[in-house]
Order: sequence, then C-alpha cells, then structure tokens
Amino acid sequence: MGILDEIQYLVSDKLQVVSYKWLSRNFLVSSDDAKRLLRDFVEKHETGVEVLYTLAGWKKNDPSLYRVRLASKHALAEAKQEFDGNCSVEIYSVQACLPKDPAVLGNAECVQAGELFKQLQSVDNCLRDNRFCRVSNSFVKRNGGGTQETSTLPQVKSEGAFGPQIKTLLHQNPTPAQPKKGQVADVVKDVKDSSYISGAHEQNSKPALQEVKLSGFPGNVKKVADNKSSGNGALANMWGRASSKTKIECVSAETSATNNSSDAQVCARENIEHQSSDDEFQGVNIKRASNGKTGRKRKVIFDVSDEEDEYKDAVNLASPDPPAKPASKQMFQSSDLEKNKLNFEEEKEKPDVKDNNEVDGVSNRILKEKSVALSKDDTTKALSLDNGRNSASAGTTSEHKMTDTATRSPQRRKVVKTRIDERGREVTEVVWEGDEAETKTNSSAAKKVDNTTASNTSSRPSVNKKSPAVGSNATNQVGKAGNKKAGNKDPKQGSLMSFFKKV
Amino acid sequence: MLELRLVQGSLLKKVLDAIKDLVNDANFDCSASGFSLQAMDSSHVALVALLLRSEGFEHYRCDRSLSMGMNLNNMAKMLKCAGNDDIITIKGDDGSDTVTFMFESPTQDKISDFEMKLMDIDSEHLGIPEAEYHAIVRMPSAEFARICKDLSSIGDTVVISVTKEGVKFSTRGDIGAANIVCRQNTTVDKPEDATVIEMNEPVSLTFALRYLNSFTKASPLSNSVTISLSSELPVVVEYKIAEMGYIRFYLAPKIEEEDEEAKS
Repeated sequence: MGILDEIQYLVSDKLQVVSYKWLSRNFLVSSDDAKRLLRDFVEKHETGVEVLYTLAGWKKNDPSLYRVRLASKHALAEAKQEFDGNCSVEIYSVQACLPKDPAVLGNAECVQAGELFKQLQSVDNCLRDNRFCRVSNSFVKRNGGGTQETSTLPQVKSEGAFGPQIKTLLHQNPTPAQPKKGQVADVVKDVKDSSYISGAHEQNSKPALQEVKLSGFPGNVKKVADNKSSGNGALANMWGRASSKTKIECVSAETSATNNSSDAQVCARENIEHQSSDDEFQGVNIKRASNGKTGRKRKVIFDVSDEEDEYKDAVNLASPDPPAKPASKQMFQSSDLEKNKLNFEEEKEKPDVKDNNEVDGVSNRILKEKSVALSKDDTTKALSLDNGRNSASAGTTSEHKMTDTATRSPQRRKVVKTRIDERGREVTEVVWEGDEAETKTNSSAAKKVDNTTASNTSSRPSVNKKSPAVGSNATNQVGKAGNKKAGNKDPKQGSLMSFFKKV
Repeated sequence: MLELRLVQGSLLKKVLDAIKDLVNDANFDCSASGFSLQAMDSSHVALVALLLRSEGFEHYRCDRSLSMGMNLNNMAKMLKCAGNDDIITIKGDDGSDTVTFMFESPTQDKISDFEMKLMDIDSEHLGIPEAEYHAIVRMPSAEFARICKDLSSIGDTVVISVTKEGVKFSTRGDIGAANIVCRQNTTVDKPEDATVIEMNEPVSLTFALRYLNSFTKASPLSNSVTISLSSELPVVVEYKIAEMGYIRFYLAPKIEEEDEEAKS
C-alpha cells in the first residue's frame, strides 16, 4: 500500500513522528485504520523503527483511575503492570528513534491541527466534523438561560417550540462565525495541552500519560463558572465542528446569563495547571459534576444507535464517517458521496439542536479513542458522576457500550431527526434522545447501570454484609438444614463469634 | 493471573456440594500456597474452612494473592456441568470480575468453558486459634452421616459424649429418645473403616443436628471423618481431601445444661 511507503519515507527520511492521529488526518482514514496501518507498518519494518504504544485501562492501585499512558516497546511490559487486569495496548506512533523531549511527539500533530483549524470555517475538514473519530458522539445542548428543554419534546416539533436558542442557531448557521486569531492560538495551545505528549507544559514529564479521575464530586467544580469567557470559544472550537454552534450558543448565552459552558475547559485547564507540578505525570483530571448547584440544565442527545457504537467499520446514519480509503485522493469525493447518501428528501426540515456528526476531534487527544465516551461526556458534561463513570467503563469495550445503551434505554429513545447541515444539505439521522434531569434524578438507575457494565472490581455487585441481626431471620438460607427452625433462632444456640475473633 | 488445573475435577464438585447449602456467598482466596475459603453461615453458628494446597493441583499458577467472591450456588451449577472424570481448570485475571471454569474430558475431545461473574463479598474472616482438643474421634464418614440423619428424624439436637467406652450420640424428641454408641474399633481390614478415639478428658456437648447433617454432605470427599471436641470450643468436623487439603466445619455448641439432656 502506498501509505506504508509514505510512512516509511516520513519516518526514515524526514524523521517525523507518525502518530495514528496524524496519520488519520493526513490520509483521511479513520483512526482505527490509522492504527491498523501503523500495526502493518511495524510488522513490516520491525527493525529500524521505534514504536510507542498507548496503554489504557484502570489503574491497579487505584481502580477509580482510568489511565492512559504511553510506553515504548521496552517499557511495555512494565507499564502493563500498572494496570489493573486488562488494558488495551495499541500503537500510538512510530518514529525513527525515541525522542528525548516528549514534546516532539506532538509537533507534527500540532502543526497539522493548527492548519486544519486555520482553514475557513466553511471548509469542512476532518478535524471539524471529526469524521474519523471512531466513536459517535453524544451531544449536549447547554442552555445558558437556565431553561431546560426537556428531551421529552420530540425534536421534530415545530420550530417555535424550541425557543430562542434554536432560532439563534438557525440564524447563525448560514454564516458560521470565523474563529478569531486569538482563538485559534488558544485552540492550538489547548490541543497541545491535551495531547498525550504535550508541549509547553510538560518539559518535566516522562513519556506522558493522562489520568482521568472519575472521582469528581459535585463540589469539585465550585470554582469553575467564574468568567473565563476567553476560554469559551477556544473550547468550543476544540471539539470539532460543534465549534461554530457551541460557540454561538455560548456567545448568546453569555449575554443572557452565566457562562457555564466554559467550565469543562476551565476544569480541564485547572487540572492541567494543578497537575503540572506533579513530576510523576502530566494528567488531566476531568471532573464531572452534577450541576444542580449552578442551576444549569442541559440536554443530552445520544446518537448511539444499535449498529454503530465503536464498531470498527460501521458506517452509520448518525455520523457519516466514510469508510477508510487507501488513497487520500479519492477521499473528498467519496466522503461527499457518503454524505449525499444520507440526504433524504423529507419535508420536515427541522434543524437539529446539534450536529451529530460533530465528534470530538481534539478530545480525541484528551483521551484515547477507546475512552472517548469519557471525553464525550466531559464535553457535554451532561451526565452525572455515576453516569460518567459508567460511560468510562463503557468506553473500554464496545460490548460494554452496547450494554450501556441497552440498559439505559428507558431513559432515552431513538429519534429520527432531519436537519440541514452546514452545506445546506438535508441530513436525516437516528439519534438517541435522553433527558438529563431524568438521568440525574435516577441516580439509582445510574448506579444500576454502573453495576451492569461492571468492568472493574469496584463495580461488582456487592453483597450485603451479613450481620447477626440479618442472620436471625436468614437461617432458612441454610437451605435444607435451615428449614426446621427458620424464623425463630434458638436462644440456646451459641455463636461462633463468641469463640473466634475477627481477624 | 490465576490458573489452577485440577485433574481430579470431581473433588471440586464435591466440595461445592458440601458447602453450598451452608454458605451462600463466599470469597475464595488464592495465594501461592493454595486455594482456600473461609465462610460462616448466615447465622454465624457454623463456619466452613476449605484448603486445597497448591501441590495438589497439576498446574498451579497464582501470581498474586487474589480473593474471588462467588455465589456458591451458581458455582455449583456450573461445576455440575463438568463430568466426574473431567479435568477442571480455574482461571482468573487480576482485577477481572469473572472467573472461568474450563472442563476437559479425559479423552480431550470435549472442552467446555464456563465464565462466572464474581461478586464483592464483605466477609468476616475469623482467626481460628490452634487448640488442644479434649477428645478426637475418627470414624467412617458414612457412619457419622448415617447417625446424624437417623437422629435428626427424632430430635433437633444431639449430645455427643466421649468417654473411655466410646462416643455416644444421643437425642430426644417428641416421639422418644435415641442413643447410639460407637466403640473404638481398630481391627478392621481398611484403616478408613476404623473408629479411633483419642481422649484426654471426657467431654459432652450439644449441637444442632441440622448443621451436622449439612456437614455430612462432605462425606463423598473422604471415607473417614475426624470430630474434635473440647468443652468451651466449637466442634470441628474435618474431612480430608485426597492428600491435598481438607474441609473443616466448625459448629458452636448449644448452650445447654447437659444433664438436662442426659437425665433421660
């Protein structure tokens, strides 16, 4: 294949670090295919290239930490030890030699991302629509004014029902805002910050890794929602094509109410700052907060339909990812074709609240793709802590994701939506629509989900501690033996506890 | 990483059958030395302690100590799917929430995999001190099982008294009373048929028959059973498991005036 030669050229002649992300964007293949290409490449050129692997899994000594880290070939086995049980191992990048400064790893990507972001907003590049993200994303609409549109409202209602926000969107869509210079810079910086091996912040770091702390509690985000309006646009841009819309939303929201929408970024940034002092690692604590405090209300729309998920080559309605193409030449054409397929001549021209093929181009960097569920949630900040954790575990395997979707189905439902995309084409998609409030109030339900998607020991179903009190009416649990005296404990019967002490 | 290969898979089946009625959920503790379990019944009257030493397994790999919470009924269900001659392999991963039982038929033409979900069990681990028992009775396990079964049809409790003459099991109920005395008998063809009584001082204790009956479900594991008694201590009913370990049941005595029973 031509790409393999290209990689060979880049690695050996240009001495460039070829990461799967770079590969994915440069050759317009999905990130899975990019990883596969790298794998093929490594198999072919086993000697002469250095491989960096990315490992993701739950930390061994702290199961609540989902950790993503990089490791070289030699340190791979050792790195695996840090994980609790299974961790995923995939190739992150190939290069001629291991760079001394981890920042080098991000250079090519950074330049690439910068270029992509500098393109006109109307140009649909792969970072904006995030078409190569393996995971279909879910979306949140942040309603800055504090009013919530309950998801029980079918999206296909008449325009007016959506209130001012939709109108804003409608109004603004045809003329998407051009990101300003400063924002672009911001974005680039953020891109750097959040990449595995990031630049500026991380001179002190070893090969980088990130830890996503899932233990955030509602209180953790207190500091957040001040007025970091400068961050607003940047974050919005970071998350792909959502950018234009999210940004507009934010802008409109700012005028009316508090700008809560920035807190995801603020949070991430704070955590970066916080942890950059840690010489062990560079991490991003993505804290999730239920937002009852600030009175924010949001809406989740999940577009996780049955067939899609993270399934590798699935092309689905909701996120028109073109299948991997070997040569970049055909790409734009074919992706166009792909998209056109999705256009239906339908009457109801309901613009969706959000664009569902917006996926997190940059959040890709925040987490490994497998855990995009995490960053997705963070992006949207729609889910409460429990759900976030749940999604995290869901992200680890696609099967879990399926379960996740399935078990939570009472809270969501599939909705067919038609909207007009940025190029004026009509797109019909099947999305999951959910209700945030419902999710929040049903924290018990969320816990249940947590249990079903158990992927670490902490989420095993637990059995109540048996106390003597319980024991008295549970003697029938002794089965046949317990039948005789079930119910009334013999007062004369001694207890073992009076003979043996607990250890 | 955990991998235990037990050629005599039927042992594990029997172990489960022996304890599943007594205990619902229990933690299996795997360490480099062996596979063990300690669990109390829900009313904290009886305790089962199981040990399968690592040497008894054909292959024993346990990289680090691991505690696996299992529902014993579910585990028994799965083990029931194994043939009596099958080789059973228990596999687990650190941090995984499942355990896998693999059954291989002796001819290797059938291999089954059963994966069972683990559970978090908050169990109380008791420290059991080594103790000198006043009396130790070894007798055929089938005999002991028969006695307990017979007596439970008459009464709820049994008084086990060890004297120089032998060991006496007595009960009384609504329909009447029963006494069974087993004398020491070492002149038998097979050593496991012997009844051996080591006694330092006479002891008489009362126990609930339903628990003893539950213990005797371990009889298939061993031809002989050892009953260790001491006043002020729970009785220990021990079944050896084919050179590789044991299953011990501890039962707290009933607090009762012994003479009340003995008056009969």
